[in-house]
Amino acid sequence: MRIRKYDHNFSRRAFLEKTALGVAGAGLLSPLWSSIARGADMSKVYPDELTSIEMYTKGKIKAGDIITANNVEHVKELLDPVAYHQVKTMGRRIHIVEPVKDVSSLYPAEFLEATLRNKGKAVLGKDNNVYTADGKPWVGGVPFPEPKNGIEAAYNLTLSWGRHDYSQYAVRDWDIDPDGDLSYQYDFVWCELNTTARTNGDIWKGKDDLLRYQSVFFTAPNDSAGTSFLSIWDYDQSKFPDLHGYIPAFRRVRQFPTNQRFEPLVPGITLFLSDAWAAGDPLLTWGNYKIIGRQPMLGVIGPRNFHGGYHDNWEKPVHGGPKDQTFFDTYMEMVPECLVVEAEPVGYPRSPVGKKRIWIDVRNQMYVAYNTYDRRGEIWKSFEPHYALQSNDKMTRKDGAHPAWSWSSVHSHDLQSNRMSRFVQAKSVVGGYQSHYDGTKEDVYNKYLTVQAMQRLGG
Amino acid sequence: MNSVRARLSRLVLRNRMIASILFLMLTIFFAMGVPHVELKTIFSDLLPEDDPFIHVFKDHPNFGNPLTITVMVKRKDGDIYNPETLGKVWQLTRDIDLTPGVDHDQILSIASAKARYAQATPYGIDTQPLMGDSVPTSEEQIEEFRKNVEKSPNAQQFLISQDETATLISATFIERLLDYGVAFEYVKGLVDEAVDEDHEVYMAGQPALTGWVYEYQHQMIGIFAITLSLLVLALIFYTQNIAGVVTPIMASLVAAIWGFGFAGWVGLPIEPLLMIVPLLLIARSFSHCVQFTERFYEIFNQVGDKQKAAELTTSVMMAPSILGIITDAVGILLISLAPIPAMERFSFFCGFWAFMLIPTGVFLAPLLLSVLPAPRNLEKIVADSDHGFHGRVKATLTAISTLSQGRKAKYSAAITVIVAVFSFYHAMNIQIGNPVEGSNLLWEDSEYNESVAMINSHFPGVNTLEIILEAKNASNTNRVAKQAETVSTMLQLQSEMENSDFPPRATLSFGDFLMDANRIISGGHTKWLVLDDNDRAVNAATSAVLMGSSPKAYSHVVDFELQNSTVSFWYPDNKQETVDAALASARAAVEKVGNEHSDFTVRLGSGTIALQQAINHVVERYHWLIMGLLNAAILLVASFAYRSLLAGVILLIPVNLSNFILTTCMSFMGIGLDINSLMVAAIGVGVGIDYGIYLLSRICEEYQERKDYALALTAALTTTGKAIMFTASIMLLGILPWYFLSGLKFLADMGLLLVLVMLINMVVALVVLPMLVWLIKPRFISNEDILVIGEGIDISKIVAAEVPVKSERYVGRAAVSESY
Repeated sequence: MRIRKYDHNFSRRAFLEKTALGVAGAGLLSPLWSSIARGADMSKVYPDELTSIEMYTKGKIKAGDIITANNVEHVKELLDPVAYHQVKTMGRRIHIVEPVKDVSSLYPAEFLEATLRNKGKAVLGKDNNVYTADGKPWVGGVPFPEPKNGIEAAYNLTLSWGRHDYSQYAVRDWDIDPDGDLSYQYDFVWCELNTTARTNGDIWKGKDDLLRYQSVFFTAPNDSAGTSFLSIWDYDQSKFPDLHGYIPAFRRVRQFPTNQRFEPLVPGITLFLSDAWAAGDPLLTWGNYKIIGRQPMLGVIGPRNFHGGYHDNWEKPVHGGPKDQTFFDTYMEMVPECLVVEAEPVGYPRSPVGKKRIWIDVRNQMYVAYNTYDRRGEIWKSFEPHYALQSNDKMTRKDGAHPAWSWSSVHSHDLQSNRMSRFVQAKSVVGGYQSHYDGTKEDVYNKYLTVQAMQRLGG
Repeated sequence: MNSVRARLSRLVLRNRMIASILFLMLTIFFAMGVPHVELKTIFSDLLPEDDPFIHVFKDHPNFGNPLTITVMVKRKDGDIYNPETLGKVWQLTRDIDLTPGVDHDQILSIASAKARYAQATPYGIDTQPLMGDSVPTSEEQIEEFRKNVEKSPNAQQFLISQDETATLISATFIERLLDYGVAFEYVKGLVDEAVDEDHEVYMAGQPALTGWVYEYQHQMIGIFAITLSLLVLALIFYTQNIAGVVTPIMASLVAAIWGFGFAGWVGLPIEPLLMIVPLLLIARSFSHCVQFTERFYEIFNQVGDKQKAAELTTSVMMAPSILGIITDAVGILLISLAPIPAMERFSFFCGFWAFMLIPTGVFLAPLLLSVLPAPRNLEKIVADSDHGFHGRVKATLTAISTLSQGRKAKYSAAITVIVAVFSFYHAMNIQIGNPVEGSNLLWEDSEYNESVAMINSHFPGVNTLEIILEAKNASNTNRVAKQAETVSTMLQLQSEMENSDFPPRATLSFGDFLMDANRIISGGHTKWLVLDDNDRAVNAATSAVLMGSSPKAYSHVVDFELQNSTVSFWYPDNKQETVDAALASARAAVEKVGNEHSDFTVRLGSGTIALQQAINHVVERYHWLIMGLLNAAILLVASFAYRSLLAGVILLIPVNLSNFILTTCMSFMGIGLDINSLMVAAIGVGVGIDYGIYLLSRICEEYQERKDYALALTAALTTTGKAIMFTASIMLLGILPWYFLSGLKFLADMGLLLVLVMLINMVVALVVLPMLVWLIKPRFISNEDILVIGEGIDISKIVAAEVPVKSERYVGRAAVSESY
């Protein structure tokens, strides 16, 4: 017989108290980060009710169950409002799995090492950018493992989006209309190359004034193939990145307004540049960051969400919506403690967005849910990420010496117009481009991350 | 007295408890349906569903901007290039984004980020918003903004007026989230706040129109209250006793509950715009009950027993009442032939309600009269006095009766023929349709229609004809709207129309955006406007247009999936001659480009112009059919009731004459034939025939008693004629306030036409019908075996046999009284 030491209200009270007092440290029973450093599992850090869905719901839901409209009320508080709406009214089903015990499976190994190595070295400069104590750009890993405020929490998301120094995602996207029909389908490649905030602390080619190069180029369908975007981010987070587009049919580069970040990249997709990683815009172009609470959540974070071995191209089964194809199958688990952070787009006088709310898993400082609200305060969009260690019962994919970790899919749902863009990080997409996280395999910069590269890719 | 009618009335009145319980149970049943009643305006249901234009409109409801509110800011004393006006436009653009249900991706103005200019650079092109991140305030900034506008031909044509004094802000709503009332109220608030001494601000668009209609529907409740109060006051004034007031109110209330309950149970959404018809039914129920009550008092005064009097009244009133109600109901039901869903639903709802006046008027009314306290003013009510108000009315009617007999009859006949010929001529030449600039639902000088007029005078406007290029396969992987053949067809259609004898004010298609993109990306020179006629070039231009933007930004010309597209043509108004000419040009253009293409079909058409044509066309198609069938139905009923085909013809002549006179009046008042007037005409014929049936019955009755046409006609007019005058008056009282009080022209027009039809029918019934009888002297007049003449019973005999006679004065035939 297992004796519950802490009742349901214990954690609720504790979270309220921590939020009210502005306590930065994560963990309720013992400090989270010292446990992570020791490799201890979460049972020492959080009471059972926060690590076991069965305990949390008093036995109504357990691992192996599927959340549907019939039982979603039991976990309503653990879902963001859009996910709840999807289950309650749109036929979404969510599989519940046992939570990961080992926090290291929530990180790329090198990034976790950098985080532990550099813990305590990050400071906010007078200009509100992140520096080391000696005024250098950030040296890698999560800069603020125990964020004291919203801006620190947001920096944890911003400085290294994909948590690899170079990420190349082969993305297959399906855009589903309100009737549940497939409206558009795209294959594209998303590349991120950090010049600073790299895991080994070096500066890529001396570009210490930049944070990253980032490009998107479409490979299918034919009429979109070659369309590409290049964004060059300053390290100074108050500056807007230059945004170049390339129209292959005209062989012309198109310069977009730098603050045009609330528009879809191509027709039909609900993804805005602003949505990427819940931190798609330079951090200081937003403001009024604040932590508004702490709470447990359900998150799509476990290895079952990697479909390598289940599908040749890592694509996922779908279900729900009017035509039974609106949602990916997802496997959620208890996330014992999330920060709830809000921010407002103060640097965009014409922003249609009023604020964003991000739920951040304190263990890896990565977001598990993200909603934007319109200026009336009504929910507009949800950007629900699905992560996985790429090691399941069928296959393991290595990133250096360790199993790779990355996102596996995303639900980008415009709730107001009820259009869903769902996309997977596939093994490869049309054109033969593959997902990987190794910036040394080839000259990725000249191949994918310059204006000339875009012209060349557009053929 | 053992006829079916007598037995039935005995059955009801001698089992009052059972009958009352039955009425109560039925009323409870229908009352339970009332909460299910849905009162709502479904605009598309006001359109004829079988018209090919409506099919196109319903297949492509998003073309023609049905979900867009347009706000025009007009600078009174100069152009818009000043900090105040630009600041106002900036603020309105931001504030309109806060409207509930708005699509944040579809807000367009010179201050929005979506209104851009493009310029060629050495590396490619640079696209930037016309206005930067703040309102231009200095002269240099304003000059720069002006230059940006000059680089954007679309902004120049569709966002800023040619005289540069006005600019538009448009906001499109998400249908699922749109509450018209809320959105209207919000934007209206912004518009009102933005008006100042230097600026006028106008709001138009379908959501705004719907908002106004909802606003006036709230007003309708107030007018309803006034109307009903007037009717009750009239009752109190006329009867001055409890039974006389309570009986009509209760019977009408029960019929109303049954009518609404039926609609609730059957699930018929009720169109609030047509609520004047139920009001007419209430008025008719009132007048019927009043006459029933009056007749009851006469008989009660003779027999001195309420139950017996109720029984006898029911027996003598049953046949004419039922026939009268049936003609009303048939008139209403025949409206359902016009394939307009809202009208169909409404005619079932009101037709049922009208039929329910039979049980409530014929059985419930006597039940109530038999239990309610006897009036204290009985003597006053039934007195046959020549003095006072009633006496004056009688004298007037006696004078009127002389017009239809003796020598005067020939003059009356001559005048009638002249009026008939004149009316027939004008009725046949009446215009079809009631086009106004804006919406015909509202007054021409309403805020909405004036806004539309102002916007029309500064911009291409709101009257469009849409020619749709519809994809044969909506999932075509080679998206149809961006195929070369589709785009070249769009451009060819524009060219054909622009070069026709009746060119539109402006044209727009997806092709225009593609050409402009082609020009800009190729360096900016206008020689690059021309697109190569191949898929590669068109695809390239499409990518340029849609890169970094949503197809929603082009939803007025192409659908979200880039399969279906439309070519829009703007016209100055939607008058019939404009509609005809525009459609003729469009038909020629479509014929030239061909309907069928490999991947798409060219479909004419949608937009205001096509919808106007559909609405006019349905009136043309159904006006005469409905009137013809109504005539046939009445001929059948009347011939049966009077056992004479000639009787049917005699009844139909005044009714149709009234209808022609009504149409002529409309013609002189500048009101065209439309679906409202068709509805009024059908109801009018139903009402008019009642007058005829009762008057003719009374003439027959009086003739059989007096054997003298002149005396019979005078007697009929001073009794039944008086009731006709009262009936018409009470309905006028009920309906006339609508004309003066309603902000909805639609309702006011209906009210005015109904008042006219009542008046005309009354005059014609009182003059022409007796005149026809006088001139023709038909044989059926002396036929005692006429259904509607009642039993031919002599109440004095019944009274003598069963109860002591109270007053000899009123002993006489239980003639058909005036119950309508």
